[in-house]
Amino acid sequence: MAGPAVSTRAFEASERLAASARGIDAAGLASRLPDIVIRAREVAATVVHGAHGRRRAGTGENFWQFRSFGAGESAHRIDWRRSARDDRLFVREREWEAAHSYFLWMDCSPSMAFVSSLALEPKLDRALTLGLALSDVLMRGGERVGLLGLTQPISTRDIIERLAQALLSAGAAARGELPGAAALPAGAKALLISDFLCDPQALAERLTTLAANGAAGALLMIADPVEETFPFEGETLFLDTDSGAQLHAGRAQAWREAYVERLARHRDEIVKAAANVGFSLHVHRTDRPAAEAALSLSFALTSGLERV
Amino acid sequence: MGLAFAAPLALLGLLALPAIYLLLRVTPPRPREIVFPPIRLLFDLLRREETPSRTPWWLLALRLAIAGLAVLAMAGPAVTPTATASFSGAPLLIAIDDGWPAASDFDARLEAARAIAADATRSGASVALLPMSEAEAAPALQDGGEIDERLRALAPQPYIPDRAAAATRLSEFVAAHPHTRLVWIADGLEQGGAKDFAKALNSAAAAGAKVDTLTGAHIPRALLSPQNTAAGLEVDIARASPEAGSSGSVSAYDAQGRVLAQSRFDFGSGETAKARFDLPIELRNEAALLRLDGEASAGAAALLDGRSKVRRVAVLSGTSADLAQPLLEPQYYLQKAFAPFAEVREPRPGAADPLPGLIAEQPNIVALADVGVLPQDAHEALVRFVEEGGLLLRFAGARLANGGDDLTPVRLRRSGRVLGGAMSWDTPKKLAPFEPSSPFYGLTVPDEVTVTRQVLAEPEPGLPAKTWAALTDGTPLVTAERRGRGLVVLFHVSADAAWSNLPISGLFVDMLHRIAADSGEAAARRAEDGARNDAPALAPLVTLDGRGRLGAPPPSARPIAGDYDGGARRDHPPGFYGAADAPVAVQPLRPGDELRAFDFAGQGLSVAPLRAGAPIDLRPFLLALVFLGLLADWLILLMMSGALRRAAPIVVGALCALAVLGAAPEQTHAKDAPSIATTRDREAALTTRLAYVVSGDARVDETSRLGLEALSRALNQRTSFAPGPPVGVDPARDELAFYPMLYWPIVAGAPLPSAQAIAKIGVYLKQGGTIVFDTRDALTAHEGGAPTPETQWLRDLTRHLDIPPLEVTPRDHVITKTFYLLDGFYGRTINGKTWVEALPRDSKDDSTRPVRATDSVSSVVITSNDLAAAWAADRNGQPLYTLTPGGARQRELAIRGGVNLVMYTLTGNYKSDQVHVRDLLERLGQ
Repeated sequence: MAGPAVSTRAFEASERLAASARGIDAAGLASRLPDIVIRAREVAATVVHGAHGRRRAGTGENFWQFRSFGAGESAHRIDWRRSARDDRLFVREREWEAAHSYFLWMDCSPSMAFVSSLALEPKLDRALTLGLALSDVLMRGGERVGLLGLTQPISTRDIIERLAQALLSAGAAARGELPGAAALPAGAKALLISDFLCDPQALAERLTTLAANGAAGALLMIADPVEETFPFEGETLFLDTDSGAQLHAGRAQAWREAYVERLARHRDEIVKAAANVGFSLHVHRTDRPAAEAALSLSFALTSGLERV
Repeated sequence: MGLAFAAPLALLGLLALPAIYLLLRVTPPRPREIVFPPIRLLFDLLRREETPSRTPWWLLALRLAIAGLAVLAMAGPAVTPTATASFSGAPLLIAIDDGWPAASDFDARLEAARAIAADATRSGASVALLPMSEAEAAPALQDGGEIDERLRALAPQPYIPDRAAAATRLSEFVAAHPHTRLVWIADGLEQGGAKDFAKALNSAAAAGAKVDTLTGAHIPRALLSPQNTAAGLEVDIARASPEAGSSGSVSAYDAQGRVLAQSRFDFGSGETAKARFDLPIELRNEAALLRLDGEASAGAAALLDGRSKVRRVAVLSGTSADLAQPLLEPQYYLQKAFAPFAEVREPRPGAADPLPGLIAEQPNIVALADVGVLPQDAHEALVRFVEEGGLLLRFAGARLANGGDDLTPVRLRRSGRVLGGAMSWDTPKKLAPFEPSSPFYGLTVPDEVTVTRQVLAEPEPGLPAKTWAALTDGTPLVTAERRGRGLVVLFHVSADAAWSNLPISGLFVDMLHRIAADSGEAAARRAEDGARNDAPALAPLVTLDGRGRLGAPPPSARPIAGDYDGGARRDHPPGFYGAADAPVAVQPLRPGDELRAFDFAGQGLSVAPLRAGAPIDLRPFLLALVFLGLLADWLILLMMSGALRRAAPIVVGALCALAVLGAAPEQTHAKDAPSIATTRDREAALTTRLAYVVSGDARVDETSRLGLEALSRALNQRTSFAPGPPVGVDPARDELAFYPMLYWPIVAGAPLPSAQAIAKIGVYLKQGGTIVFDTRDALTAHEGGAPTPETQWLRDLTRHLDIPPLEVTPRDHVITKTFYLLDGFYGRTINGKTWVEALPRDSKDDSTRPVRATDSVSSVVITSNDLAAAWAADRNGQPLYTLTPGGARQRELAIRGGVNLVMYTLTGNYKSDQVHVRDLLERLGQ
């Protein structure tokens, strides 16, 4: 492969250290959010939340419909008030309410602000795009979506804007490498989007906490192409985004094999941590279109729903 | 081999190398910085890899080498190769030929000598210098500085010094210093005792000296025996060997150094060559110096003095012209005798009064052969001629003997005397040797010249002073006398062979030559001086230096005797001697001299060129090395930082190599281009053809081409003109001169031609070309309305052209009658007007004449009827465009108009004469 020399950057090279200290610049994020929102809409529009038939009678709080009483049914289900207005017996059916609230978490740590020349956009933008798009898809599928640790699950037509607003107004607390440590309600589903370059052990612990009440979920691992292929050669000074750590490599190409192996091991550990709590793991590279991940993820979520 | 620096101070920059070394050592190449979030994973790898914190030594060495080379290049090093081997301290004698044969490349010789001397000085040897012209003093050993100064002061001499003295000095030197080194920087000519000198060298070599012989690559050529004859100015060119070049040119300069003329010569296969100047006699007489172009030596110059000026001689004989027996005519002998150096004028046959007519031609000499008494007006004219400085040369004869006039130097006795006749006791008399005061002094008197009859001078006091030549018994044979500013010379014998055989001897020619050379004021002065100074010595006036330049004479120059014939010597350098108005030239080479190349090998000498080559400037090579080093350094850096893959350096290297070698192929391309254009032009020049201007609109161009093709077919069928296939031309690019008529359809959207192209079009129109502009807008144009885009375009174009006033083609314009009789020029439309150059109004019989025409062809025809569209037809002859209003008749008329246009451009106003034929016939019939 005689590709071009790969260059990487975290939004602005001059502010790299500052960004690593403060997390992602809120203003920078705010300026990009409108774009992200539009892209999220576009992605959501391409993903049709398939026919899932959840608008049907079932266990729930809200009225769904009246229907004729059938023989053999338990008598206490008869709605007498309705039946009094007619000479037939009616049963009040309530809407089937899946108690599925979706909790989204998108990693906003500095390492997400990374983009290489091979990628289409920064990992953070991709994560936000995907998260917001999925929230819209899910909302249109009748689900409630909230941001983990930031908002309650809601279901409105302008859910993308609402969530984006919430993201913006969130403080530095939301900039952690790991989702907040709070158990999710039973039946809730968690969707965690991150590059998962954190310590797998810590992640496993956090997932255990989240799923303590039996919540299910999925992890979407966003990866920049260079993080997988390691196309560096020659004398290279590697800089970290979070800590400002440096690593000098005399011949970067000599590191490639070991690195790829190490990355695979890291992924295995993440997968293992996810599998422990019944979460699935999806990997998405930023050189692929966002809709691709959105589609596969929505399928995964849907199938997960039907399983539950 | 000497290495020299042009700017040695720049070498101080080498002192900076250690600092550069230190700097480079602590500054490793900067690594690429990569932001990489998964760096934690890399930390986990715990890989210990040696990272070069310091520049690798070989890179350091490369960079130091680059810096060092750059400093060296700034110092401007140059290597001067010398032809001789290195020296080992033995004394060195440099013998230099400094005659004019060495002058052309004397600087190179001096440089070689200085290089050798410098080499010897470096090795500690002392040097002696022996120029051939300064061999009177023994060569002394001197140090390098003195020798260098002497070499700088050395200049070539305008003669060939004799090497005999130098050979003696050489032998003495070798005797004093047995193990010496001898270097002879020879001029390569045998003249001047080269053989003896070579022998001296050989004996020195036998005595233990080491001998080197150097010679320059320049082989001298020289000018010999310039001859200014009546036929022309001629000079011989000699060369030492055929390698000297077989052709060249000779320039003639006047006394002020202005070039008069140049003449080429070519040796061909012959041994000698002649350069010849065919100039008017007045200009030829102006010439003072001939010089071989490209040679800077005295030998390549030839001097022309007063003796070589061509005189105009008017010859008048008193005898009646008898052409049947020319050998009896004195005129014939005079003509033959004067012909080699003078231009002879004779009276026109049948001239009523010949002498004033001859004098009016401004001759230098009037020769009267046996003229006794002149008419009064002729006598007056002659007296005036002599008073104003002319030379009257008279010959005796029967008429003069019978009674002369006063225009003789001496009074003559009534009758002459006859010697050696049947009635006489005397034998025919011979000539006495010429006195030193005589202008004939120096001429040898042949024994066989005898005088049998002469006219006698009355003995009178001044007679000996007036006598230029006398017989052995003392009777004057030639007398001369000054009259005013002129001179009257009388030969006491006749100009034919009747009285003496002098006129048929070579002496006669020489004497006449002397007389002719001395004609004018100088002769008069000589006649004066001759009386009081017996042996006039001529002081040097201006002399040639060794390089062939005229200048003040050197102190060593001595006056020459009036009859000096010894060639150029040290004390008589070539140049002009004597008075400024009548100088006598001493030529660098005598007539008959030849240049002989010296056979070095035959004398056992091996000869080497002056130098192995020009001084080699090392700077370009060093700079190239620096550049290549920087390139390599850059590539290495790229490779070290990983920006380049392994194959890439090769690619980059190849690209660089291509860039270096890239200049050559472009030149070959440039050569090819014009030949293509000339092929097309050649074809266009061989076959006359119609042409259209390529508008850039493919449809219009195709229409133009098809239209002109159809018109060419029609011309071929109907007229005697068979045009070639039409071509499209671009006025900016193509040569237009080959096309008598250009059809130019206007496309409004096309860009205007460049200024150069418009200038070219203007030249084409001026040279007689005709352009038919077709705006093709007859349907859209409104008379008096705004101009259509096409018309505007045409106006823009012609704004920069010199277009004469135009008019709508009048009915009587010749263009309507050149082949067909037409009312107008029709095309696709018929309502457009056709404009041609306005004819001058002919007021007289305007109505009666059927046609008016000027002498030239209208250079511009402007129509708007879209002619080509009406002509255009496909291969089967089917028309391509419908016409407005239409009809076969309109198409035919369009073709006829085209035929008329072409015939008009080709024949001009020829037809305007043709249409008068009927009138002329009518008049003849009357």
